[in-house]
Amino acid sequence: MSQDVRERPTESDTHQSLDGLDGGPAVAASDVTERIWRFFTSMRTGLWLILALGVLSLIGTLLEQTPAGLSADPAAYASWLASIHSKYGGWTPVFDKLGFFAVFTSIWFKAIMVLLTTSVLACSVNRAPRLWKLAFHPHTKMGETFFTHAPLGASVVVPAEPDETMDYVAEVLKSHRFRTVTDPQDGEVNLYADRFRWGPFGTVVAHLSFVIILVGFFLSATTGFKNTGLVVPVGSTVQIGNGTGMSVKAVSFNDAYYKDGSPSDYASDLILYKNGAQIQRQTIRVNHPMKAGGVWFYQSFFGEAAAVKVTDGAGKTLYDDAAALQFQSKDGKHSIGKFDIKSKGLTVYVVDVASGETDPNLKAGQLQLEIDQAGKSEPVATQVVDQGAPEKIAGLTYTFERTRQYTGLIVAHDPGAPFVWVGSTLLVLGLFMVFFFPHRRMWVRIRKTSGGSEVLCASTIKRDLAFKPQFHQIISDIQLAAVPSDTTDGAGRNDA
Amino acid sequence: MLELSQYSLIGGLILVALALLCYILVLTLGRSVRRAPVMAHAGGSSGGSADSEAGRGAEGDGTSTGVGAAQPRTMAVYGTYLTRLALVFLTACLVLRTIAVGHGPFTNQYEFSVAFAWGTVAAYVYFEYRYHVRTIALLVLPIAAGMLLYALSVGATANPLVPALQNNLLLTIHVAVAIVAYGAFSISFAAAVLYLTQPEEGRPGWPKLELLDEIGYRAVIIGFPLLTLTVVLGAVWAEIAWGSYWSWDPKETASLLTWLIYGAYLHARVARGWVGRRAAWLLVVGFASVLLTFFGNLFFSGLHSYAK
Repeated sequence: MSQDVRERPTESDTHQSLDGLDGGPAVAASDVTERIWRFFTSMRTGLWLILALGVLSLIGTLLEQTPAGLSADPAAYASWLASIHSKYGGWTPVFDKLGFFAVFTSIWFKAIMVLLTTSVLACSVNRAPRLWKLAFHPHTKMGETFFTHAPLGASVVVPAEPDETMDYVAEVLKSHRFRTVTDPQDGEVNLYADRFRWGPFGTVVAHLSFVIILVGFFLSATTGFKNTGLVVPVGSTVQIGNGTGMSVKAVSFNDAYYKDGSPSDYASDLILYKNGAQIQRQTIRVNHPMKAGGVWFYQSFFGEAAAVKVTDGAGKTLYDDAAALQFQSKDGKHSIGKFDIKSKGLTVYVVDVASGETDPNLKAGQLQLEIDQAGKSEPVATQVVDQGAPEKIAGLTYTFERTRQYTGLIVAHDPGAPFVWVGSTLLVLGLFMVFFFPHRRMWVRIRKTSGGSEVLCASTIKRDLAFKPQFHQIISDIQLAAVPSDTTDGAGRNDA
Repeated sequence: MLELSQYSLIGGLILVALALLCYILVLTLGRSVRRAPVMAHAGGSSGGSADSEAGRGAEGDGTSTGVGAAQPRTMAVYGTYLTRLALVFLTACLVLRTIAVGHGPFTNQYEFSVAFAWGTVAAYVYFEYRYHVRTIALLVLPIAAGMLLYALSVGATANPLVPALQNNLLLTIHVAVAIVAYGAFSISFAAAVLYLTQPEEGRPGWPKLELLDEIGYRAVIIGFPLLTLTVVLGAVWAEIAWGSYWSWDPKETASLLTWLIYGAYLHARVARGWVGRRAAWLLVVGFASVLLTFFGNLFFSGLHSYAK
């Protein structure tokens, strides 16, 4: 009995792709369609597209990006540009022209995404049939040169007939969890064995999942809604809008702090109504949003609101709610809120001193009201009012009742998100399939010799060096199985 | 408990420094005694798998030498044990801190840095055990030491958790997975640098180009799925805490950049004209991106700017 094990450097490995997505069949570039097909199925095209996307991401990381919603307001955008001018100087208009301050909505980004998606789809379509063939219709018989030149090879001579040898070689391979396919021919036996034949499909899964995630991003950007600043004063009920028919009431809001002054908890007790009927009540916190009918409610911010009551001369209530003091004056010294009295065409601005600031004209327990009439450039009236003291201003009675807290919510409905989660799950699964379950293949040829059989084994190990020890283990198991032992029933095999 | 954790950190740092010293000595002492005796062993044809593995390791390594090279060999063994002991100390540091603060120790720059160092040393210990290549320690251990020194410089203050971080499960998994991925990437970085600093035909006494290429790849196929998982878990958390799974926050875009570079590397490694040096360059750029992602909090504002 003899054994010969051989290893060759991996360069001489027969071509076996990692994922079946590289190196295409030669297509004659005879016409435009084929040229385009070849462009999109080329690994190098994909590679350059990924790198281009990387460059854009780098720009998007290093340069400040336009805050969401700002680009729709030219004036606000201009003032934002002015504010970053000190940072980028003369480059500001250049970067602006190139779209670098909104890289991820720029034409560059969209164009590369479209090209990359096309490339991913083309590569998957191009390679899937080949992967299918490798997995389900493998070459069970290899040429003689393969056995002498494969990077992993071994030959074992055993004192048994080929048929019998095949049986226990197959058994050894099965014990190593390999699937075996045999092909007996006159005088010799060819045997193919493989493991994890489904592994390479991970690459198709991963690539397609990338497309699914992009679909999710697209749906998120084009459908659903997201209100990042829904302000609900405690005690008030506010409409969600966006066709949900929902409204939300803040029963209470609590903010708690650690000893060092850093925040420990923000919590809003919310009641959710749909078409006027209560459907849910929940205390939401950061990290504990409320979900109802596909709409998510997040705790986002909070502040002070001023409860004001407005009545007309006949004592009829025109307004009785709280105006959130959610805006800051330019100098940061005042916080400002507003409410409308629609029936009179009035907008009332409510001004209070910002926390930590002082204003000699506006003491604690006081509020300044500025009443604007639609269509007029000058305010109808500007007056400081005391808490609890009704004031008659321009024909209406205003009462500053008290300050209350308001809670600021993010309300979002995102139909794209489920696609992103399905895509992400498949992406992670696909990657683990490709990298941790590499398709391991082995070819065996058993030939009759004068004293028994010669077993030739060969395998490819490109990008799977971890297979090497297992290959050697299989060879030595075959060798052991061939040795008759007194104590095992293997002795029966030694008739020849 | 916090103090004990701090002592473990200092112990770990000293051990990393000592291990590095050993490996440097191995390289300098080993230069005079080449590994001729090992070659016969590696070329042996009686193939037990264990033998050939060891042969390959010794051949690729250049630090374990044959007859007459007892000194470097002893040094190399010391290096190995010191590194493992350093890992024990750093693990203790993180475990003690977890017990003390009551959540995964991943909430400020100090804790991140210690965790990064832990990931790097852990990845190194695994790869040394698996591939017997000690030379990469010359690059990996300074990264770990640098992270630990940085941690010491920012101070070990434990701050209470702000509401946004109060998600023990996701905090722990999201960051822990990232740390292992970063550790793996530091290995691929080290392998790539050793690859790129050698001429085409290799340099005697250094790990073979082929082996370095393999190690770089092995590290990435561990790191890349984990980085993907980190980003996905981050998106899950963002949807729960920030109101949407992706906000183009600077740390998000930086991690996307990192993901793209390693994704490019995986494709480069099988693309014509990219195998070898260009692929190795991508590993260097990829690690630069890891560092950008890691230190991003300090330079950019954004949602990830918690305790600094």
